[in-house]
Parts: sequence; C-alpha cells; structure tokens
Amino acid sequence: MVKLFLIYIDPGAGSMLVQVTIAGILGFLYTFRTYWLRILNFFKQKGEKISNDKKIGNKINNI
Amino acid sequence: MTRDPGSFRDPSGFIFQDQGVLFRQVNRSYKTQFDFLVSSGLYSELLERKYLIPHKEVSTALSDSDAFAVLKPELIEFISYPYEWCFEQLKDAALLVLKIQLLALNKGMILKDASAYNVQFHKSRPIWIDTLSFEIYDEGSIWVAYKQFCQHFFGPLCLMAFGDTRNALLLHSFIDGIPIDLTSNMLSWKTYFNLPVLSHIHAHSIGIRNYSSQPAAAHPTLIKKKSLVALVENLTSAIEELSVERKESEWLDYYTDNNYTDRGFDHKNALVKEFVNIVQPKMIWDFGANDGLMDREFSKAGIRTISFDRDHEAVQKNYITCKSEQSEFQLPLVLDLLNPSPGIGWNNKERKNLTGRGRPDLILSLALIHHLAISGNVPFKNIAEFFYEMSDWLIIEFVSPADNNFISISTHASSTILHQYTEENFEKSFSVFFKIVRVEKIIESKRSVYLFRKKDEVQPL
Repeated sequence: MVKLFLIYIDPGAGSMLVQVTIAGILGFLYTFRTYWLRILNFFKQKGEKISNDKKIGNKINNI
Repeated sequence: MTRDPGSFRDPSGFIFQDQGVLFRQVNRSYKTQFDFLVSSGLYSELLERKYLIPHKEVSTALSDSDAFAVLKPELIEFISYPYEWCFEQLKDAALLVLKIQLLALNKGMILKDASAYNVQFHKSRPIWIDTLSFEIYDEGSIWVAYKQFCQHFFGPLCLMAFGDTRNALLLHSFIDGIPIDLTSNMLSWKTYFNLPVLSHIHAHSIGIRNYSSQPAAAHPTLIKKKSLVALVENLTSAIEELSVERKESEWLDYYTDNNYTDRGFDHKNALVKEFVNIVQPKMIWDFGANDGLMDREFSKAGIRTISFDRDHEAVQKNYITCKSEQSEFQLPLVLDLLNPSPGIGWNNKERKNLTGRGRPDLILSLALIHHLAISGNVPFKNIAEFFYEMSDWLIIEFVSPADNNFISISTHASSTILHQYTEENFEKSFSVFFKIVRVEKIIESKRSVYLFRKKDEVQPL
C-alpha cells in the first residue's frame, strides 16, 4: 500500500494502476525467465554453464 | 538567512543561504528517514559511487522549531536545468536516477521524487543533489515518482530520439515535466510498436486519462519488490537503447570548415589564451562555444568554464568529448543568447534565469557578434549593455563585413543594419561601457580580438 502521508508529489491514480500492471507483467516475465534459465542449466550437465551475471533476472534475485 | 525560492515543495526540509553559504535544513518529520539513510549504508554507498552530492553536518543554529539538522552540501559551481541539456546529458541523468533507485531498493529505501532538477552536472558527470529524496521502502509499495520520472526523463528522451532534439525545450513550459498525454500525442504512430514506449507512454497516457478523477488511495497498489526492480530495469534498458542520429548541423564542422588559415587559427587561439591569462578568471562563460575545443584548455588549467551554444549537435559533441577526456571544469549547455533561459515556476523564481545563476569573471564571445547584430538584429549598444551587466571582463572576436562568413549570413539583411555594422560603430558602442585593454588583428583573416574591461562609470551614449 502507499503511505500517502509521505507523498508530496501526486502519483496519479491512473499512473498507479498502469505502474502496477506493467510492473506485474515485467516481474512475471523476469521470474519466468529466471526459472527457465535454471531448467536449461540443469539439463546442460557438462555443457557450458549459462552465465547469469549479465542477466537481468539474476540482478533481481540479488535485490 | 534567505530561503531558496525554488525549495518549498518537500516538507522534509529546504535549502537556504546564510552569509552567502548554501545549507540544507532537515526537518524533524524526516529524522527517521535521514537516520536510516545513514545507518543502512545507502548514503556511504551513494557517495562512494559519486551518485550523491556529499555534505557535512554543521552546528549552525537551527532556524526554527521544525529543524532537526543542518547540512552543508558540496557546492555546485553552476546550476543548470534540463532544458539546457543535450540528449546525452538528459540520458545520463535519467540512468543515474534509475541506478540510485536500484541501490536504494537494495538498502530498503526508495526515491520519493524523480525530478530532473534534483540532478546537476558536477565535475563532468551527473550527480543527485537532494539528500532528502529517500523514503523507507515498505514491501508492496509503489514508486510514487514513476509518473514524474516519465514526465521529466523518459518522455522527453523519447521526444528527442523519435522526434526532434528541440522538443526538450518544452521543459521550459512544463516545470513538472512534459505531460504524458502530450508526449503520447506528439510521438509518431510507429512508436506503438516499441514495447517500452507503448507501455510507459501510450498505455500510461490512457491510464491517466481514464482514471485521473479517482483518488489514488481507492486502488490496490501492491507491487512486489521484484516487480518494482523489473520496472526500473526495463526503463534502464529502454533508455540505454535510445539515441539521436547526428543531424546536419549549422556549426558542428566549424573548426574544420571555417575561414581561418592554419596560421590564423593558431594566432587566434594564442591571442585568446594570452588575454585570458591577463584576466586570470576563476569562471568563464563562453557564448557560442561550438564544440568547446578552446574551453577544454581553460578547463585543463582549472578554470570553471560554461560552454554555451544554441546548436544541439555541437553541445552533444562537446559533452561526449568532455566525458571521455574527463574535462572536470567544463560544462557544455544548450542556450540561445538571443532568447536565454527565463525564470520559471512559482513567482518566476523557482528556476532562475541565466543571469540569476552567477556572475562570470570573464565572458568569451568569439565570432558571435555578427550573428547577434545581423541575424538577431540586436544593436551593438544593447549587446554591450547586456555583457556590461554580466561581467567585468569581456573578450570579443569581431568579424568584419569583408569576412566570408559575414557575407554568407548577411545576404538577406536590410541595408540599414548592414550599413551600421562597422568596426568603428562597434568600438564606439562598446566604449560607452568598456575600456579597450587590447585589440589585435588575427593574421590572414578579416577578424580582430578585443579584450574589454568594464568601466566604473558609464556616460550615456
């Protein structure tokens, strides 16, 4: 929830809904991508390990 | 104590000046957040990465009962505004905000505002100047400054990248950033196929239009932290991919396609450097600086130099070179001297006009006077008076009517204006306000360099 007493700029009701929607979709996609990479890594037993260092999904997991 | 007229919106504190020194008051209402900023390690990390302006806590007497602490931030030599930045400057500033946001989230805080006016250029790189912009993050909270970020950064950058770099001048008219619906209307239909623009601008505009009348608290506003980070990452990658194509520029090839011979060009540079050495300035404002080639030498000598030019391409080239050469004392800015930045915002004082932001020790105006006098129709007397009010010293390169560049710009000028444009009239008008300290002809050219010093008393012309 938003702590409205902290806000001195107007976040805008429409803008908030858009933010929730976009962030929700992006969050889902990144989570999906992270698990997909894990599955790929699991099956690549001896092959090159996919480096997640540059992957955005990995950055998110570290936050 | 004088409170800064542009610092009144945030209830967490404000900027004030005391005996010419700049301070920031932290109010009691911000005590918890301020303490957490330090104890979480966010403050030290931001300093280490040079993302936030450093401050010292001082024991100055607190001015009112709301005060919790007084900070003395490191001084920014010249305050610039987003409508004076080239595309790369606005882009670097936007990416800085997003980097700060990620660091803050990592430390349990969040940016509560994302105003472009909270970014300044300091030592050739963008830096966040508002220490009170950090709020304690509660899991599930939205980013209240998301709309502000789109209005101040993402929207203007899209308008420049997909439209015209001059669109950034709209920031003059909208002090809280270009409205999302206006940005959406101005962008080409092709941008609907660009996913970040579609979501952060076009869909955003529809959401604002359809739900703006409802109170913010009426909607569910839960965002997982991972999703919030994904939003910031998405904006980051979208902005990183934005660029402006190099367009045909009026002035970009000035140094490679000009009216000087090699010897003439070297002679001009030597004269200007010699005159600058006489003045020994700490701060130079160079009007018509082009790509700032000469200013870089002053910057290397430790002289703070603001390189103004109205040509976006020239300023962009200047900024990119300054970054790569780490020209710390130089700041390139877009500014048209025929229409310099006005005071805007509340009472026209929230953001200052050009002359209200300091006083240079020396003004450089090299090969600009014929543009002001012929293209701009500004009489010599008015130009002299303008410079007189701004600085004690002035270096002008006068371009005579026999010069090829003068001939090319004067084709359509009226005969009255052309008749008045003589070196004799120029000296006569400037001598009302200034003493001629030195004047030298540039060899193998039709140009002269003047060093003027302000007169103590001015007699009417």
